[in-house]
Amino acid sequence: MPSRLLPRLNLPGLLTLVIVVLAWELAIRGGSVQYEYLPAPSAIAVGMAELIRSGQLAADTLHTLRSVLLGWTAAMVIGVTLGLWLGSSPLVRRYSLATIEMLRPMPGIAFVPVALLLFGFSLETELMVIILPALWPVLINTMGGVMGIHARLFEVGRTFRLPRGEIIRKLLLPAALPAILVGARISMTLALVLAVVAEMVGNPNGLGYAIVREQQALQPEKMFADVVAIGVLGIVLNSALVSAVAAFFPAASGRLREAG
Amino acid sequence: MRRLFDNLRLLRTSLPPIRGLLPLVLLLVIWQMLQSGPSPYFPAPDQWWMAGLRLFHRNDLIGAFEATTLTFLGGLLLAILIGTAVGILIGVSAFAACALGPLLEFMRAIPPPATVPVFVLLIGYNETMKLTVVTLSALWPILLNTTAAARGIDPLLLDVARSFRLTTWDRIRRIIAPAVIPALLLGIRVALPLAIVVALLVEMLTSLPGIGAMMIRSQRNFQSAEVYALLVLVGLFGFVVNDVFAVIESIILRRWPPRTATTS
Repeated sequence: MPSRLLPRLNLPGLLTLVIVVLAWELAIRGGSVQYEYLPAPSAIAVGMAELIRSGQLAADTLHTLRSVLLGWTAAMVIGVTLGLWLGSSPLVRRYSLATIEMLRPMPGIAFVPVALLLFGFSLETELMVIILPALWPVLINTMGGVMGIHARLFEVGRTFRLPRGEIIRKLLLPAALPAILVGARISMTLALVLAVVAEMVGNPNGLGYAIVREQQALQPEKMFADVVAIGVLGIVLNSALVSAVAAFFPAASGRLREAG
Repeated sequence: MRRLFDNLRLLRTSLPPIRGLLPLVLLLVIWQMLQSGPSPYFPAPDQWWMAGLRLFHRNDLIGAFEATTLTFLGGLLLAILIGTAVGILIGVSAFAACALGPLLEFMRAIPPPATVPVFVLLIGYNETMKLTVVTLSALWPILLNTTAAARGIDPLLLDVARSFRLTTWDRIRRIIAPAVIPALLLGIRVALPLAIVVALLVEMLTSLPGIGAMMIRSQRNFQSAEVYALLVLVGLFGFVVNDVFAVIESIILRRWPPRTATTS
């Protein structure tokens, strides 16, 4: 959607970016910055080109993208299911909310050593580290969305004698959708952060590991190129989600943008 | 005294009923019954406790905990100070907000953990690096929220302040603070978990002393009970940080309630 993106590409903003990059380049070339491992932007571009040519960047990006999507999808399925259940039953809520509040603030990275014990250096480790923390925003938002549904909607369902599956599919899900999508977006951002973390210390693959690999190989140009690639991946994932929501659920997209 | 009592009651009502812990307790009890001894994968919960005590007595659990906590708190504090000051400065100037916007947005898009190896290479394996990395990861959400809030201040209000010849201090106290504080708190709420994750990650990657390094060491030595004990410790830490902040937040928000009309 160029019409929505264009006003954000402001001229002073772009100019600032150019000036910052130029100043950085000049500072390195002129020797006024004395960091041994701080490459100039041009060197980073060369490193990026090398990574692209060797196919390394594509392979690393693909791995990270796949892990993020797998983990995020699993988190969505589990989170929405549990969220619907908790949202529609006060009894279940009463006997589990404190457990959720206890587990939710657990920092995702703390699962890395446990996952390593269970699965070793593998994709399973990475997925466990992604799914467990990425679950909560979806669960909490779905639950909140269902709890916000007007009681009359349930009565309508009962009047029409809709079976349970129909009530969930035709009443609960559509009504809670805007809230679920907000959770989905937060969860997506979280999944990328956790994928990078997991790749650094749990699963030696993907862009997260690439950064550590280039750091240990003392290849700062390639390391910076990988960092930029992760930033771009994050922006692409986020705008892909927002555009997908705008295309498929236009009614729910307003709140999503507000939440951004 | 009455105020303190009110705040304590607030904490109690903000927490869900304690019977909600039932699933967690059941899980631990069943775990203990199914697997009552040590195991390389699923050691029993009482083994975690014993391993925790062993770490406490033999290794420097308190020291490691202190190192991690100090890095976390120090980084967070620096991020709040820098983020608020710079955020307001950028936000009150429409041009600065416009010019720096894309740069800041891109910096925010980079997941903070990705910058850890960069700073390891630039600064080296030391405490300064640890603090820098944690500060920077907590900085973006705080800075961007503050900027947005300061930008949302009605220019008319600032004109009014000028007409009344308010001093700088009064202007901050009466106009800027009420607009910025709710957004600042929101930014800190986002920054808290990031700062904890990054503090632990630095320790895991570099083996600088702290809980993160201790977790990885226990895992490498296949001390599964120690790993679970540390997982519980970190979980409790996250829980306490979260709740303490919730209380602080609600106390501050009562003094400066969010004004929905000015958010843009």
